[in-house]
Amino acid sequence: MDKKLKKLKNEYKNTPIPEDLDKVVQQAIKQNKKKRLHPNSKWFIGLAAAVIIFMVSINTSTAVAQSLSKIPVVGSIVEVLTVLEIHVNEDNFNVNVKVPQLNNLENKDLETSLNQKYLEENKELYQSFSEKMKEMKKTGNGHLSVDASYNVLTNDDVIFSIKRTVVETQASAYTTNKFDTVDKQKQIMLTLPILFKNDHYINAISEIIKEQMREQMKNDPGVIYWLSNAGNEELPAEELFNQIDANQNFYINDQHKLVIAFNEYEVAPGYMGAVEFVIPTEKIENLLVGNKYIQ
Amino acid sequence: MRKTKAEDNVITFIIENQENFYRLAFSYVKNAQDALDVVQESIEKAIRKKDSIKDNQSVKSWFYRIVVNTSLDFLRKNKKIALVDDDTLDYFRSGKQDTYEDIDLQRSLEQLPITYKSIIILRFFEDLKLDEVADVLNENTNTIKTRLYRALKLLRVEMNEMQ
Repeated sequence: MDKKLKKLKNEYKNTPIPEDLDKVVQQAIKQNKKKRLHPNSKWFIGLAAAVIIFMVSINTSTAVAQSLSKIPVVGSIVEVLTVLEIHVNEDNFNVNVKVPQLNNLENKDLETSLNQKYLEENKELYQSFSEKMKEMKKTGNGHLSVDASYNVLTNDDVIFSIKRTVVETQASAYTTNKFDTVDKQKQIMLTLPILFKNDHYINAISEIIKEQMREQMKNDPGVIYWLSNAGNEELPAEELFNQIDANQNFYINDQHKLVIAFNEYEVAPGYMGAVEFVIPTEKIENLLVGNKYIQ
Repeated sequence: MRKTKAEDNVITFIIENQENFYRLAFSYVKNAQDALDVVQESIEKAIRKKDSIKDNQSVKSWFYRIVVNTSLDFLRKNKKIALVDDDTLDYFRSGKQDTYEDIDLQRSLEQLPITYKSIIILRFFEDLKLDEVADVLNENTNTIKTRLYRALKLLRVEMNEMQ
Protein backbone atom coordinates (compact mmCIF):
# COMPACT_ATOMS: atom_id res chain seq x y z
CA MET A 1 0.00 0.00 0.00
CA ASP A 2 1.13 3.49 -0.70
CA LYS A 3 3.08 5.10 2.13
CA LYS A 4 0.76 8.03 2.38
CA LEU A 5 -2.29 5.83 2.57
CA LYS A 6 -0.64 3.65 5.15
CA LYS A 7 0.03 6.65 7.30
CA LEU A 8 -3.50 7.86 6.91
CA LYS A 9 -4.74 4.42 7.83
CA ASN A 10 -2.61 4.40 10.95
CA GLU A 11 -3.92 7.79 11.92
CA TYR A 12 -7.40 6.52 11.41
CA LYS A 13 -6.89 3.31 13.34
CA ASN A 14 -5.37 5.29 16.18
CA THR A 15 -8.51 7.31 16.75
CA PRO A 16 -8.77 7.23 20.54
CA ILE A 17 -11.68 5.05 21.65
CA PRO A 18 -13.49 6.60 24.63
CA GLU A 19 -14.05 4.42 27.63
CA ASP A 20 -17.75 5.16 27.37
CA LEU A 21 -18.14 3.42 24.06
CA ASP A 22 -18.84 0.00 25.46
CA LYS A 23 -21.38 1.39 27.88
CA VAL A 24 -23.10 3.43 25.20
CA VAL A 25 -23.33 0.41 22.93
CA GLN A 26 -24.61 -1.90 25.67
CA GLN A 27 -27.19 0.60 26.73
CA ALA A 28 -28.36 1.37 23.22
CA ILE A 29 -28.88 -2.33 22.66
CA LYS A 30 -30.56 -2.89 25.96
CA GLN A 31 -32.90 0.07 25.69
CA ASN A 32 -33.98 -0.70 22.19
CA LYS A 33 -34.62 -4.30 22.99
CA LYS A 34 -36.62 -3.22 25.98
CA LYS A 35 -38.91 -1.06 23.91
CA ARG A 36 -40.25 -4.15 22.29
CA LEU A 37 -41.89 -5.03 25.57
CA HIS A 38 -44.40 -2.31 24.97
CA PRO A 39 -45.55 -2.61 21.42
CA ASN A 40 -46.77 0.61 19.97
CA SER A 41 -50.42 0.96 20.78
CA LYS A 42 -51.07 2.20 17.26
CA TRP A 43 -50.78 -1.35 16.11
CA PHE A 44 -53.97 -2.22 17.87
CA ILE A 45 -56.02 0.47 16.24
CA GLY A 46 -58.27 -0.46 13.41
CA LEU A 47 -57.71 -4.11 13.72
CA ALA A 48 -61.31 -5.12 14.01
CA ALA A 49 -61.26 -6.08 10.40
CA ALA A 50 -58.48 -8.54 10.83
CA VAL A 51 -59.81 -11.92 9.98
CA ILE A 52 -59.03 -14.44 12.59
CA ILE A 53 -59.38 -18.00 11.65
CA PHE A 54 -59.26 -20.12 14.69
CA MET A 55 -58.95 -23.69 15.07
CA VAL A 56 -60.85 -24.34 18.20
CA SER A 57 -59.93 -27.48 19.89
CA ILE A 58 -60.43 -28.52 23.39
CA ASN A 59 -57.97 -30.95 24.70
CA THR A 60 -56.84 -31.62 28.16
CA SER A 61 -53.11 -31.92 28.36
CA THR A 62 -52.01 -35.26 29.65
CA ALA A 63 -49.49 -33.68 31.97
CA VAL A 64 -52.22 -31.73 33.66
CA ALA A 65 -54.45 -34.78 33.84
CA GLN A 66 -51.68 -36.69 35.55
CA SER A 67 -50.93 -34.02 38.06
CA LEU A 68 -54.64 -33.79 38.80
CA SER A 69 -54.98 -37.48 39.35
CA LYS A 70 -52.45 -37.31 42.16
CA ILE A 71 -54.76 -35.14 44.17
CA PRO A 72 -57.81 -36.79 45.58
CA VAL A 73 -59.40 -33.62 46.94
CA VAL A 74 -62.14 -33.16 44.42
CA GLY A 75 -63.12 -29.64 45.35
CA SER A 76 -59.70 -28.26 44.72
CA ILE A 77 -59.19 -29.57 41.24
CA VAL A 78 -58.49 -26.92 38.71
CA GLU A 79 -58.57 -28.03 35.17
CA VAL A 80 -56.66 -26.33 32.44
CA LEU A 81 -57.86 -26.79 28.93
CA THR A 82 -56.54 -25.41 25.73
CA VAL A 83 -59.61 -23.68 24.40
CA LEU A 84 -58.20 -21.90 21.46
CA GLU A 85 -55.32 -22.57 19.20
CA ILE A 86 -54.25 -20.29 16.42
CA HIS A 87 -51.88 -21.53 13.81
CA VAL A 88 -50.53 -19.62 10.86
CA ASN A 89 -47.96 -21.26 8.72
CA GLU A 90 -46.67 -19.31 5.77
CA ASP A 91 -43.23 -19.05 4.24
CA ASN A 92 -41.82 -16.40 6.53
CA PHE A 93 -44.57 -16.19 9.09
CA ASN A 94 -45.39 -18.55 11.86
CA VAL A 95 -47.86 -18.35 14.68
CA ASN A 96 -48.55 -20.88 17.35
CA VAL A 97 -50.80 -19.60 20.04
CA LYS A 98 -52.36 -21.73 22.72
CA VAL A 99 -54.82 -20.07 25.00
CA PRO A 100 -55.39 -21.70 28.35
CA GLN A 101 -58.71 -21.75 30.12
CA LEU A 102 -59.16 -22.59 33.75
CA ASN A 103 -62.15 -24.64 34.83
CA ASN A 104 -63.56 -25.74 38.16
CA LEU A 105 -62.46 -22.77 40.19
CA GLU A 106 -65.14 -22.20 42.76
CA ASN A 107 -64.72 -18.48 42.56
CA LYS A 108 -66.36 -17.97 39.20
CA ASP A 109 -65.52 -14.28 39.07
CA LEU A 110 -61.86 -15.06 39.42
CA GLU A 111 -62.11 -17.86 36.88
CA THR A 112 -63.86 -15.65 34.37
CA SER A 113 -61.54 -12.73 34.82
CA LEU A 114 -58.45 -14.90 34.40
CA ASN A 115 -59.88 -16.62 31.36
CA GLN A 116 -60.92 -13.32 29.87
CA LYS A 117 -57.45 -11.97 30.43
CA TYR A 118 -55.84 -14.95 28.70
CA LEU A 119 -58.15 -14.68 25.75
CA GLU A 120 -57.78 -10.93 25.37
CA GLU A 121 -54.01 -10.98 25.62
CA ASN A 122 -53.70 -13.67 23.03
CA LYS A 123 -56.10 -11.96 20.68
CA GLU A 124 -54.06 -8.79 20.93
CA LEU A 125 -50.93 -10.75 20.32
CA TYR A 126 -52.41 -12.29 17.22
CA GLN A 127 -53.71 -8.99 15.96
CA SER A 128 -50.42 -7.24 16.38
CA PHE A 129 -48.84 -10.14 14.56
CA SER A 130 -51.20 -9.90 11.60
CA GLU A 131 -50.64 -6.19 11.40
CA LYS A 132 -46.90 -6.58 11.40
CA MET A 133 -47.18 -9.38 8.89
CA LYS A 134 -49.19 -7.19 6.55
CA GLU A 135 -46.61 -4.44 6.78
CA MET A 136 -43.76 -6.81 6.17
CA LYS A 137 -45.48 -8.37 3.19
CA LYS A 138 -45.88 -4.91 1.71
CA THR A 139 -42.16 -4.22 1.96
CA GLY A 140 -41.53 -7.73 0.80
CA ASN A 141 -39.10 -9.04 3.32
CA GLY A 142 -38.68 -10.15 6.89
CA HIS A 143 -39.46 -13.10 9.05
CA LEU A 144 -41.70 -13.18 12.02
CA SER A 145 -42.87 -15.85 14.33
CA VAL A 146 -44.89 -15.76 17.50
CA ASP A 147 -45.24 -18.60 19.93
CA ALA A 148 -47.50 -18.35 22.90
CA SER A 149 -47.81 -21.26 25.23
CA TYR A 150 -48.48 -22.02 28.84
CA ASN A 151 -47.19 -24.31 31.44
CA VAL A 152 -48.79 -25.34 34.71
CA LEU A 153 -46.00 -25.04 37.27
CA THR A 154 -47.79 -26.09 40.42
CA ASN A 155 -51.20 -27.60 40.91
CA ASP A 156 -51.80 -29.16 44.30
CA ASP A 157 -54.42 -28.77 46.95
CA VAL A 158 -53.24 -25.32 48.00
CA ILE A 159 -51.63 -23.62 45.07
CA PHE A 160 -52.14 -23.30 41.39
CA SER A 161 -49.36 -21.55 39.44
CA ILE A 162 -49.43 -21.06 35.73
CA LYS A 163 -46.74 -19.58 33.51
CA ARG A 164 -47.52 -18.11 30.14
CA THR A 165 -44.72 -17.57 27.70
CA VAL A 166 -44.66 -15.50 24.55
CA VAL A 167 -41.70 -15.84 22.23
CA GLU A 168 -41.49 -13.36 19.42
CA THR A 169 -38.84 -14.05 16.86
CA GLN A 170 -37.76 -11.59 14.24
CA ALA A 171 -34.04 -11.56 13.86
CA SER A 172 -33.68 -12.47 17.49
CA ALA A 173 -36.04 -14.20 19.83
CA TYR A 174 -37.66 -12.23 22.57
CA THR A 175 -39.35 -14.04 25.41
CA THR A 176 -41.88 -12.63 27.82
CA ASN A 177 -43.21 -14.63 30.73
CA LYS A 178 -46.24 -13.94 32.84
CA PHE A 179 -47.31 -15.78 35.91
CA ASP A 180 -50.53 -16.24 37.83
CA THR A 181 -50.78 -17.96 41.16
CA VAL A 182 -54.09 -18.81 42.77
CA ASP A 183 -54.86 -19.89 46.32
CA LYS A 184 -57.25 -22.70 45.66
CA GLN A 185 -58.64 -22.82 49.16
CA LYS A 186 -59.44 -19.16 49.53
CA GLN A 187 -59.95 -18.88 45.79
CA ILE A 188 -57.98 -15.72 45.41
CA MET A 189 -55.17 -14.54 43.19
CA LEU A 190 -51.94 -14.32 45.10
CA THR A 191 -49.66 -11.34 44.80
CA LEU A 192 -46.38 -10.64 46.54
CA PRO A 193 -47.92 -8.01 48.85
CA ILE A 194 -50.52 -10.58 49.97
CA LEU A 195 -47.83 -13.10 50.89
CA PHE A 196 -45.87 -10.78 53.13
CA LYS A 197 -46.61 -8.87 56.31
CA ASN A 198 -45.25 -5.59 55.01
CA ASP A 199 -43.13 -4.23 52.23
CA HIS A 200 -39.85 -5.18 53.85
CA TYR A 201 -39.93 -8.18 51.57
CA ILE A 202 -38.90 -6.01 48.61
CA ASN A 203 -35.58 -5.22 50.11
CA ALA A 204 -35.03 -8.62 51.69
CA ILE A 205 -35.74 -10.54 48.50
CA SER A 206 -33.71 -8.12 46.41
CA GLU A 207 -30.70 -8.68 48.66
CA ILE A 208 -31.11 -12.46 48.46
CA ILE A 209 -31.25 -12.24 44.68
CA LYS A 210 -28.21 -9.99 44.47
CA GLU A 211 -26.31 -12.44 46.62
CA GLN A 212 -27.30 -15.29 44.32
CA MET A 213 -26.32 -13.24 41.27
CA ARG A 214 -22.89 -12.52 42.72
CA GLU A 215 -22.43 -16.14 43.65
CA GLN A 216 -23.33 -17.29 40.14
CA MET A 217 -21.07 -14.72 38.54
CA LYS A 218 -18.21 -15.78 40.75
CA ASN A 219 -18.62 -19.42 39.84
CA ASP A 220 -19.07 -18.91 36.14
CA PRO A 221 -17.42 -16.04 34.27
CA GLY A 222 -19.96 -16.53 31.47
CA VAL A 223 -22.76 -15.42 33.77
CA ILE A 224 -23.46 -11.71 33.78
CA TYR A 225 -26.05 -9.76 35.69
CA TRP A 226 -26.44 -6.03 35.65
CA LEU A 227 -25.53 -5.48 39.22
CA SER A 228 -23.52 -2.92 41.08
CA ASN A 229 -20.06 -3.88 42.36
CA ALA A 230 -19.84 -6.65 39.86
CA GLY A 231 -17.70 -5.24 37.10
CA ASN A 232 -20.64 -3.41 35.58
CA GLU A 233 -19.51 0.02 36.65
CA GLU A 234 -19.65 1.24 33.09
CA LEU A 235 -23.44 1.08 33.23
CA PRO A 236 -25.17 4.01 34.89
CA ALA A 237 -26.62 3.21 38.29
CA GLU A 238 -30.21 3.46 37.15
CA GLU A 239 -29.64 0.66 34.64
CA LEU A 240 -28.42 -1.75 37.24
CA PHE A 241 -30.60 -4.12 39.18
CA ASN A 242 -31.43 -2.39 42.40
CA GLN A 243 -34.52 -4.01 43.78
CA ILE A 244 -37.48 -6.05 42.67
CA ASP A 245 -40.77 -4.48 41.82
CA ALA A 246 -43.42 -4.72 44.54
CA ASN A 247 -45.34 -6.85 42.08
CA GLN A 248 -42.42 -8.62 40.50
CA ASN A 249 -43.20 -11.73 38.45
CA PHE A 250 -43.23 -14.73 40.75
CA TYR A 251 -44.64 -18.16 41.21
CA ILE A 252 -44.69 -20.84 43.83
CA ASN A 253 -43.04 -24.03 42.67
CA ASP A 254 -44.14 -27.54 43.50
CA GLN A 255 -41.83 -27.60 46.52
CA HIS A 256 -43.68 -24.53 47.76
CA LYS A 257 -40.71 -22.31 47.37
CA LEU A 258 -41.08 -18.76 46.20
CA VAL A 259 -39.53 -18.21 42.78
CA ILE A 260 -38.86 -14.69 41.52
CA ALA A 261 -38.77 -14.38 37.76
CA PHE A 262 -37.32 -11.75 35.45
CA ASN A 263 -37.92 -11.30 31.79
CA GLU A 264 -35.16 -11.17 29.25
CA TYR A 265 -33.05 -8.01 29.51
CA GLU A 266 -34.63 -7.08 32.81
CA VAL A 267 -31.56 -7.81 34.91
CA ALA A 268 -29.09 -9.40 32.54
CA PRO A 269 -27.90 -9.30 28.95
CA GLY A 270 -30.09 -11.09 26.43
CA TYR A 271 -28.01 -14.20 26.16
CA MET A 272 -28.79 -14.99 29.79
CA GLY A 273 -32.43 -15.46 28.81
CA ALA A 274 -35.28 -15.06 31.27
CA VAL A 275 -33.79 -15.75 34.66
CA GLU A 276 -35.41 -17.08 37.84
CA PHE A 277 -34.29 -17.16 41.44
CA VAL A 278 -35.54 -19.61 44.04
CA ILE A 279 -35.73 -17.81 47.36
CA PRO A 280 -34.72 -20.00 50.29
CA THR A 281 -37.74 -20.03 52.58
CA GLU A 282 -35.75 -19.80 55.82
CA LYS A 283 -34.45 -16.41 54.75
CA ILE A 284 -37.87 -14.85 54.39
CA GLU A 285 -39.80 -16.87 56.96
CA ASN A 286 -40.20 -14.04 59.45
CA LEU A 287 -41.57 -11.75 56.78
CA LEU A 288 -44.22 -14.12 55.49
CA VAL A 289 -47.80 -13.82 56.65
CA GLY A 290 -47.87 -17.54 57.26
CA ASN A 291 -46.36 -20.76 56.05
CA LYS A 292 -49.37 -21.93 54.18
CA TYR A 293 -48.13 -21.17 50.69
CA ILE A 294 -44.44 -20.99 51.06
CA GLN A 295 -42.66 -23.59 53.11
CA MET B 1 -40.31 -23.34 23.64
CA ARG B 2 -37.99 -21.50 21.33
CA LYS B 3 -34.48 -20.46 22.15
CA THR B 4 -34.62 -17.68 24.64
CA LYS B 5 -31.04 -16.58 24.19
CA ALA B 6 -30.53 -13.70 21.86
CA GLU B 7 -28.01 -15.12 19.45
CA ASP B 8 -28.93 -12.28 17.24
CA ASN B 9 -26.44 -11.74 14.44
CA VAL B 10 -26.91 -8.03 14.33
CA ILE B 11 -26.25 -7.47 18.00
CA THR B 12 -23.25 -9.74 18.11
CA PHE B 13 -21.90 -8.00 15.06
CA ILE B 14 -22.41 -4.56 16.57
CA ILE B 15 -20.73 -5.51 19.83
CA GLU B 16 -17.77 -7.10 18.09
CA ASN B 17 -17.22 -4.18 15.75
CA GLN B 18 -18.16 -1.25 17.95
CA GLU B 19 -14.71 0.31 17.74
CA ASN B 20 -14.76 0.28 13.95
CA PHE B 21 -18.13 2.00 13.95
CA TYR B 22 -16.96 4.54 16.44
CA ARG B 23 -13.91 5.35 14.33
CA LEU B 24 -16.01 5.66 11.24
CA ALA B 25 -18.49 7.96 12.98
CA PHE B 26 -15.61 9.95 14.43
CA SER B 27 -14.08 10.41 10.99
CA TYR B 28 -17.22 12.32 10.06
CA VAL B 29 -18.28 14.19 13.17
CA LYS B 30 -14.81 14.76 14.59
CA ASN B 31 -15.51 14.72 18.27
CA ALA B 32 -16.01 11.97 20.78
CA GLN B 33 -19.37 12.99 22.17
CA ASP B 34 -21.00 13.35 18.77
CA ALA B 35 -19.42 10.15 17.54
CA LEU B 36 -20.87 8.33 20.55
CA ASP B 37 -24.25 9.83 19.75
CA VAL B 38 -24.01 8.64 16.18
CA VAL B 39 -23.07 5.14 17.32
CA GLN B 40 -25.98 5.08 19.71
CA GLU B 41 -28.43 6.32 17.12
CA SER B 42 -27.13 3.86 14.57
CA ILE B 43 -27.71 0.96 16.93
CA GLU B 44 -31.20 2.20 17.59
CA LYS B 45 -31.92 2.37 13.87
CA ALA B 46 -30.33 -0.98 13.27
CA ILE B 47 -32.42 -2.74 15.89
CA ARG B 48 -35.55 -1.05 14.67
CA LYS B 49 -34.91 -1.86 11.04
CA LYS B 50 -33.08 -5.10 11.24
CA ASP B 51 -35.69 -6.79 9.10
CA SER B 52 -34.70 -4.60 6.22
CA ILE B 53 -31.49 -6.53 5.66
CA LYS B 54 -31.79 -8.03 2.22
CA ASP B 55 -30.91 -11.67 1.88
CA ASN B 56 -27.97 -11.02 -0.40
CA GLN B 57 -26.65 -8.17 1.70
CA SER B 58 -24.07 -8.62 4.38
CA VAL B 59 -24.83 -7.35 7.86
CA LYS B 60 -21.50 -5.60 7.58
CA SER B 61 -22.27 -3.30 4.68
CA TRP B 62 -25.81 -2.83 5.96
CA PHE B 63 -24.63 -1.55 9.31
CA TYR B 64 -21.84 0.53 7.83
CA ARG B 65 -24.44 2.17 5.67
CA ILE B 66 -26.49 3.05 8.74
CA VAL B 67 -23.44 4.55 10.44
CA VAL B 68 -22.47 6.56 7.37
CA ASN B 69 -25.99 7.86 6.85
CA THR B 70 -26.46 8.69 10.50
CA SER B 71 -23.16 10.58 10.48
CA LEU B 72 -24.11 12.50 7.37
CA ASP B 73 -27.52 13.31 8.85
CA PHE B 74 -25.78 14.53 11.92
CA LEU B 75 -23.50 16.79 9.92
CA ARG B 76 -26.44 18.10 7.95
CA LYS B 77 -28.31 18.89 11.14
CA ASN B 78 -25.35 20.53 12.78
CA LYS B 79 -23.79 22.46 9.97
CA LYS B 80 -20.89 24.08 11.68
CA ILE B 81 -17.17 24.07 11.81
CA ALA B 82 -15.90 20.69 12.86
CA LEU B 83 -15.10 20.83 16.54
CA VAL B 84 -12.11 19.17 18.04
CA ASP B 85 -12.40 18.06 21.62
CA ASP B 86 -9.56 18.19 24.13
CA ASP B 87 -8.62 14.55 23.79
CA THR B 88 -8.24 14.90 20.07
CA LEU B 89 -6.27 18.08 20.48
CA ASP B 90 -3.94 16.40 22.92
CA TYR B 91 -3.67 13.50 20.63
CA PHE B 92 -2.59 15.63 17.72
CA ARG B 93 -0.42 17.69 19.98
CA SER B 94 1.38 14.72 21.37
CA GLY B 95 4.61 16.48 20.64
CA LYS B 96 6.44 14.10 18.45
CA GLN B 97 7.69 15.79 15.34
CA ASP B 98 6.44 13.36 12.82
CA THR B 99 2.86 13.72 13.97
CA TYR B 100 2.84 17.20 12.53
CA GLU B 101 3.43 15.69 9.22
CA ASP B 102 0.48 13.42 9.85
CA ILE B 103 -1.75 16.37 10.55
CA ASP B 104 -1.09 17.55 7.04
CA LEU B 105 -1.96 14.16 5.73
CA GLN B 106 -5.03 14.03 7.88
CA ARG B 107 -5.99 17.43 6.58
CA SER B 108 -5.55 16.44 3.03
CA LEU B 109 -8.08 13.69 3.69
CA GLU B 110 -10.37 16.16 5.40
CA GLN B 111 -10.20 18.40 2.38
CA LEU B 112 -11.58 15.77 0.09
CA PRO B 113 -15.27 16.04 -0.73
CA ILE B 114 -17.16 13.88 1.73
CA THR B 115 -18.12 11.20 -0.79
CA TYR B 116 -14.49 10.70 -1.71
CA LYS B 117 -13.45 10.64 1.89
CA SER B 118 -16.05 7.98 2.64
CA ILE B 119 -14.77 5.80 -0.15
CA ILE B 120 -11.15 6.08 0.99
CA ILE B 121 -12.07 5.28 4.58
CA LEU B 122 -14.29 2.35 3.77
CA ARG B 123 -12.06 0.85 1.13
CA PHE B 124 -8.63 1.29 2.69
CA PHE B 125 -9.14 1.83 6.41
CA GLU B 126 -12.09 -0.42 7.02
CA ASP B 127 -10.92 -2.85 4.35
CA LEU B 128 -14.25 -3.26 2.64
CA LYS B 129 -14.38 -4.69 -0.84
CA LEU B 130 -15.31 -2.35 -3.66
CA ASP B 131 -18.70 -4.07 -3.95
CA GLU B 132 -19.31 -3.56 -0.27
CA VAL B 133 -18.34 0.09 -0.47
CA ALA B 134 -20.80 0.44 -3.32
CA ASP B 135 -23.47 -1.24 -1.21
CA VAL B 136 -22.77 1.00 1.79
CA LEU B 137 -22.88 4.18 -0.26
CA ASN B 138 -25.77 2.97 -2.37
CA GLU B 139 -23.98 3.49 -5.67
CA ASN B 140 -22.97 1.08 -8.34
CA THR B 141 -19.52 -0.40 -8.27
CA ASN B 142 -18.31 1.43 -11.37
CA THR B 143 -19.23 4.80 -9.94
CA ILE B 144 -17.30 3.94 -6.80
CA LYS B 145 -14.32 2.86 -8.85
CA THR B 146 -14.27 6.14 -10.72
CA ARG B 147 -14.57 8.16 -7.54
CA LEU B 148 -11.91 6.14 -5.80
CA TYR B 149 -9.61 6.82 -8.69
CA ARG B 150 -10.29 10.52 -8.45
CA ALA B 151 -9.96 10.55 -4.69
CA LEU B 152 -6.57 8.92 -4.88
CA LYS B 153 -5.54 11.38 -7.52
CA LEU B 154 -6.55 14.23 -5.27
CA LEU B 155 -4.55 12.71 -2.45
CA ARG B 156 -1.69 12.31 -4.89
CA VAL B 157 -1.46 8.67 -4.07
CA GLU B 158 0.09 6.30 -6.54
CA MET B 159 -2.55 4.97 -8.87
CA ASN B 160 -1.49 1.40 -8.62
CA GLU B 161 -3.38 1.30 -5.37
CA MET B 162 -6.53 0.76 -7.37
CA GLN B 163 -7.84 -2.73 -7.30
